[in-house]
Amino acid sequence: MKNKRFAIVLDTERCIDCKACTVACKAENDVPLGPNNYRNWVVASKLRGKYPNLGQSYTPSQCQHCSNAPCEHVCPTRATFTSSDGIVDVKEEKCIGCKYCQTACPYNARYYNEETGAIDKCTFCAQRIYAVPPRLPACVDTCPTKVRAFGDLNDPNSEVSLLLARNPSKVLKPAMGTNPHLFYLD
Amino acid sequence: MANPKKQKMSRRKFLGISSCALTTAVVGSQVKVLKALAKSGDISEPVAAITKDVYTSCGMCVNKCGVIARVRDGVIHKLDPNPNFFPKSRGMLCARGNAGTKVVYDPDRLKYPLIRVGERGEGKWRRASWEEALDMVTNNMNQIAEKYNRASMMFASTEGTFSEHFFLQLAECYGTPNTLRHPTLCLSSNIQGFSATFGTNPTPDVKNADYIIMSGANRAEALMTPDSIDMIKTDGGGRRKLVYLDPRFTKTAAKADEWYPIKPGTDMAFILALINVIITEGLYDDDFIEENTVGFEQLAQHIKQYSPGWAATECDIPAKDIRRIAHEFANAAPSAVYYQGRRSSFFQNDTQMRRAMAILNAIVGAWDTKGGLLPNKKIALTKHDYLAPWYDDVPDRLDKGGVTYLSEKDGSWPVFRDRALAADPYPIKGMMVYKQNVLVSVPDRAKSLELMKQMDFICTIDITMSDTAWYSDVVLPEATYLERLDPPENLSGPVPVVAFRQPCVEAMFESKTNFWIMQQLAKRLGPEIAETFDFTMEEHIHHMLKKKPEIYDALFGKGVYYEDTEPEYGRLKGKRLRTRSGKIELYSEKYAKKGLDPLPVYKSPDKVPTNMYRLLVGRHAYFTHGTTANNALLHDLMPENTLWLAPSEARKLRLKNGQMVKVKSKVGEEKLKLEITEKIRPDSVYMAHGFGVLSKGLSNIAGVGGSDAALIESKYCPISGNCAMHETFVQITPA
Amino acid sequence: MSAFKNRPKLFVWMAILLLGMAAGAAGVIHVLIVGHAQSYNVTREIPWGLLIATYVFLVVSSTGLCLISSLGHVFGMKQFEFIGKRAILLAILTLLCGFGAIGMEINHPIRMGIYTILSPNFSSAIWWMGTLYGVYLMFLCAEFYFLMKGMHKGAFTMGVLGFTAAVSAHSNLGAVFGLLEARPFWHGSFLPIYFIVSALVSGCALIGMIVYFNHKKSGAPMPLKYADFMDTLGRLQILTLMTLVFFVVWKIIPGIYGHPPEKYEATMSMISGPFAFNFWFFEVLMGLVIPLCILFPKKTRTPTGVMFAGLSSTIGIFFMRYDLVIIGQLVSMREGTAELVNGLLQYTPSLSELGITIGAICTCLFLYTVAERLLPLDPEEH
Ligand SMILES: Nc1nc2c(c(=O)[nH]1)N[C@H]1C(S)=C(S)[C@@H](COP(=O)(O)OP(=O)(O)OC[C@H]3O[C@@H](n4cnc5c(=O)[nH]c(N)nc54)[C@H](O)[C@@H]3O)O[C@H]1N2
Ligand SMILES: Nc1nc2c(c(=O)[nH]1)N[C@H]1C(S)=C(S)[C@@H](COP(=O)(O)OP(=O)(O)OC[C@H]3O[C@@H](n4cnc5c(=O)[nH]c(N)nc54)[C@H](O)[C@@H]3O)O[C@H]1N2
Ligand code: SF4
Ligand code: SF4
Ligand code: SF4
Ligand code: SF4
Ligand code: SF4
Ligand SMILES: [Mo]
Repeated sequence: MKNKRFAIVLDTERCIDCKACTVACKAENDVPLGPNNYRNWVVASKLRGKYPNLGQSYTPSQCQHCSNAPCEHVCPTRATFTSSDGIVDVKEEKCIGCKYCQTACPYNARYYNEETGAIDKCTFCAQRIYAVPPRLPACVDTCPTKVRAFGDLNDPNSEVSLLLARNPSKVLKPAMGTNPHLFYLD
Repeated sequence: MANPKKQKMSRRKFLGISSCALTTAVVGSQVKVLKALAKSGDISEPVAAITKDVYTSCGMCVNKCGVIARVRDGVIHKLDPNPNFFPKSRGMLCARGNAGTKVVYDPDRLKYPLIRVGERGEGKWRRASWEEALDMVTNNMNQIAEKYNRASMMFASTEGTFSEHFFLQLAECYGTPNTLRHPTLCLSSNIQGFSATFGTNPTPDVKNADYIIMSGANRAEALMTPDSIDMIKTDGGGRRKLVYLDPRFTKTAAKADEWYPIKPGTDMAFILALINVIITEGLYDDDFIEENTVGFEQLAQHIKQYSPGWAATECDIPAKDIRRIAHEFANAAPSAVYYQGRRSSFFQNDTQMRRAMAILNAIVGAWDTKGGLLPNKKIALTKHDYLAPWYDDVPDRLDKGGVTYLSEKDGSWPVFRDRALAADPYPIKGMMVYKQNVLVSVPDRAKSLELMKQMDFICTIDITMSDTAWYSDVVLPEATYLERLDPPENLSGPVPVVAFRQPCVEAMFESKTNFWIMQQLAKRLGPEIAETFDFTMEEHIHHMLKKKPEIYDALFGKGVYYEDTEPEYGRLKGKRLRTRSGKIELYSEKYAKKGLDPLPVYKSPDKVPTNMYRLLVGRHAYFTHGTTANNALLHDLMPENTLWLAPSEARKLRLKNGQMVKVKSKVGEEKLKLEITEKIRPDSVYMAHGFGVLSKGLSNIAGVGGSDAALIESKYCPISGNCAMHETFVQITPA
Repeated sequence: MSAFKNRPKLFVWMAILLLGMAAGAAGVIHVLIVGHAQSYNVTREIPWGLLIATYVFLVVSSTGLCLISSLGHVFGMKQFEFIGKRAILLAILTLLCGFGAIGMEINHPIRMGIYTILSPNFSSAIWWMGTLYGVYLMFLCAEFYFLMKGMHKGAFTMGVLGFTAAVSAHSNLGAVFGLLEARPFWHGSFLPIYFIVSALVSGCALIGMIVYFNHKKSGAPMPLKYADFMDTLGRLQILTLMTLVFFVVWKIIPGIYGHPPEKYEATMSMISGPFAFNFWFFEVLMGLVIPLCILFPKKTRTPTGVMFAGLSSTIGIFFMRYDLVIIGQLVSMREGTAELVNGLLQYTPSLSELGITIGAICTCLFLYTVAERLLPLDPEEH
């Protein structure tokens, strides 16, 4: 069987910055309380224009599950690793808490989880997508306006593959060469 | 990170406030909290064997979205959206819905019946047994009946728990007409204005409308399902246009195609000008008007005075835009709606303003048709009938006659409170509160405090130590929505659904369902009343579903029951509407008879006095009203509220971003942080609702931010009795 | 107490160091009780704080001492031979205290011990840095042992190995920062090289102070031989400082020229932003200008002058380390993270962090002072 390559495609035009995704993720993944502890976030752009001609966009994001992941390269103990399905994950018991990966990640996707005593980050909700029956990642599932689509890029008929085939898209900080797997529709 | 320390501290929270004198434990995951509590003997350990998915409905706001509770090892681990909940919430849960777990496992939640031992509001409590607390409540109720009159007890409540009807039943059986419900804080002028026109309060078909004008309705933040979902442009289908009017640049404004920072209180001028253009330029739907409406002639005559040029000076929207929007709107019609907000507690002329909205929709034929206003449908459930005891000489409602159209069950909060304070025509001495936060939700907090002060007795049934509970004599802990079996509830709409709730876990501590509490009180009030509550919740549910037993299976099988997935258009075509004429009343004979303007007559809002600002009220996406700001998960998103002020004004007042300011109105004074932002008109200020609480039992937000309720004056619409929350002017000075 | 009887100055010195160590102990205990998160001001956005800077400062000192002293027993510059023992001893102590500082920053030092061995990642600069510094420590210890035993051949071999390890470990430390593409202020081959240069400055400065105070304590006037050495050291110091100036200038220019994104903001925070005082006063004035002003004129290049120049540049260098570590993280990785002030993130060390830093430095000095009294560190006369 061919490996999976999971990815998320986002249509930020639909985002209303309700932060349901953030709270859903915190609840699903037992992210400790505290405003600095989160696996995903929504960036509200600076206000554009001058009153009364204003504009603002909202860009949700999370770990990009880079296929050339600096966090993985720098981790001294290989606590950070990439699974065969493309999910970049952390083995808690191997994490020494050096926070090198935090300084290496260009997206600020990682935080130190005091409760597990290890670096924590988005895992594409592996516990949900591999559950029987499978469930969508919490942030994907809960979104009122369905900003995110989740699926397997190696399946040409998956929603994400189709979205990327039919629409131009971009990734964040492409110049970093991280090869992210969060795609933003133009 | 201005203060990383502070942000980090919020991670450690201690269980129980002094008033509840409980254990302390570090809160982490749910399981840790429970283990800590179990150790101290306050609750039994969660049953690890229980792992299941439970269908239920969200209880965090009016929408009642469909929920699947994932119970793991006896603990509600996660709330997921119910994808079956199709026509209404369509597989979504908002931030608040997701934060529901923290309602159950909230260290601040009410755990035991509490009886006040100190002064009111001092926060000194003792834990009491249910027996004692319930006896105390009914003893006081009986005393008040004896000493004054049964009508001297007021019952305040708000919808949402699916069991409010038991509370109202108790009020009726006890013998008081004085129930005070939320509509006059919320939408009663809306209902009034639209019903006077259409005979009902319809729902806009947001999903299918090509053109939407939304004013005073912030759907991207004030979430209403499914409108908040449907409001977003989708790729497939006709591209829709959203024109949005709000003195603030909200998230809806960010999503809209056009945003106009309309001068507050002038929406009617804008609407009348649209009608003016549509009529004078012949853009209306002739056939529709002919067939379905009365009073077009009078309207055409009346509207002449309201030209776009005139409106432009009133509402700060350029005349050419008004004209263009009128054309676009009429061209898109009937697949075009002027979207009425839900909360309409804005201005004193609100009912007439809503009438104007309704009329505008009617003259382009956007009624009972795809993309227009749709009459709501209901799935009929059998009501529980009971025979309330008869009492002699119980007077009329205290607020009777206070406004033109007073709802018998809802009353009018501002009118009622004024009369109660004057004991006119009789005193109000006892207060039962259920799922309403009087001190936060009713404008002019000082007045509400006065009202509470004059009470002989106050009992509040809540789930957390709300401000209102804090000022009560007896506080009864209700089981939260995730711990209750709640009766099915019809959520009416163009595509109605039936929702229900079932317990996901056993009720924690000594919390009990409202139904149980009502039964217990009824028992103590005498056999005649007890008899009206003599059934189990299961029996009640079966009774309600008697005519459609299949609902039962649908509810337990997939969490929801519905019959259609798409609205039925033209349902009322050719049928008599519930107005006098049976038609859409552009001209309201009914109003004329009552001495009201039969056609909406514009009156400018009071001018903002110099050196003052108009205080605006509005929703925040992360909170529901005044009590969820304390929820740990939501608190992380927004730990305090700020006062929005335009940069030009801040410069004038020499105020800096982030500094503390004093906000002073005629009725109150609050302190909070200033947020300088272009997102608001220079003549207005705004603050999010739900901070500046009095209760120290809300440990995350006690002493943080300012309360809008403390500032808002208690003006109201004389037709509907709805509060007018945007007619308060404030002064801002450095704190 | 008798040791202090006739030495009020030593008493005051030791008392100060003990106080400093107590501050360190308080910091450590605080961390052990309430945990890292509550004790440190490092955040999600700025995960590396004062302790990492302290670590860098201490290991740079160690490297510098090793490199400069190797001029003597490795490269055969006779004049430098006599400082060997002291320099290597202090190199060991600074390295150990540096390890202590980073050990307090890392959440799981024990896991580190286990998994750097069981599950090494050869593409991680931190792994290499740790490993190489470990090896370096072993060589230093062996070298010190041979020096103490007067085994010159062994000392020479170990000196060569130590020198090699020092250069590799230390340039690797530069690489820990330099390899981070996400942090333009650090990224590139500049830092590995710069780290070596600045180590030489540290080494000269510290050796100047060692020699000075070593003779000061004896009360006797400094023999001519040592005074000569101080002059040579002073001139060497001029050379290293000038090289450092060169590096500093060429660090700044590409950081400003053409406004390279993120690098510019970071560089400007140092030129005219929140780190301007640190930069201009400590790094430039104390670290470079004052020492050079003292060292250039023959008149002031006295043993006392060289000592003061060393002290001044050491203080300056501490701020160089701190600024380097923090400034590299000041630019937020994305919009809307924590509250920004003038577009930059903020970090101020917590009391625990300050305490541990002071503690680490004082421990180092304390151990050195004690060793000075207990071990025969004076060179055997040939
Ligand atoms: N997240 C969230 N969602 C909710 C609720 C909640 O508490 N939180 N509550 C629910 C309830 S009970 C209700 S009633 C609804 C309310 O939902 P909405 O009816 O949308 O009400 P608000 O957000 O209170 O106010 C709407 C907007 O009107 C603007 N406004 C103020 N004055 C004027 C004016 O004169 N003209 C115009 N055009 N605009 C004006 C305000 O700035 C505000 O943004 O939301 C429901 N949904
Ligand atoms: N200043 C200002 N005032 C407003 C508004 C505003 O925007 N600003 N909005 C107005 C509007 S539109 C509305 S609808 C009203 C709403 O105001 P209220 O009618 O007061 O309703 P809520 O604030 O939602 O909740 C009231 C109480 O119910 C409690 N509660 C929640 N769940 C349960 C439960 O399951 N059981 C029990 N027993 N109690 C429960 C909460 O803890 C809270 O104390 O406020 C109005 N007042
Ligand atoms: S849940 Fe969806 S709409 Fe809400 S903030 Fe997240 S991505 Fe945006
Ligand atoms: S986004 Fe950051 S944490 Fe995620 S894989 Fe890429 S570098 Fe690693
Ligand atoms: S903090 Fe943990 S995951 Fe990150 S680099 Fe260090 S060991 Fe690896
Ligand atoms: S996929 Fe799961 S872990 Fe990742 S951000 Fe979404 S909810 Fe969080
Ligand atoms: S909108 Fe949010 S809070 Fe309201 S019912 Fe739905 S999920 Fe619950
Ligand atoms: Mo409402």
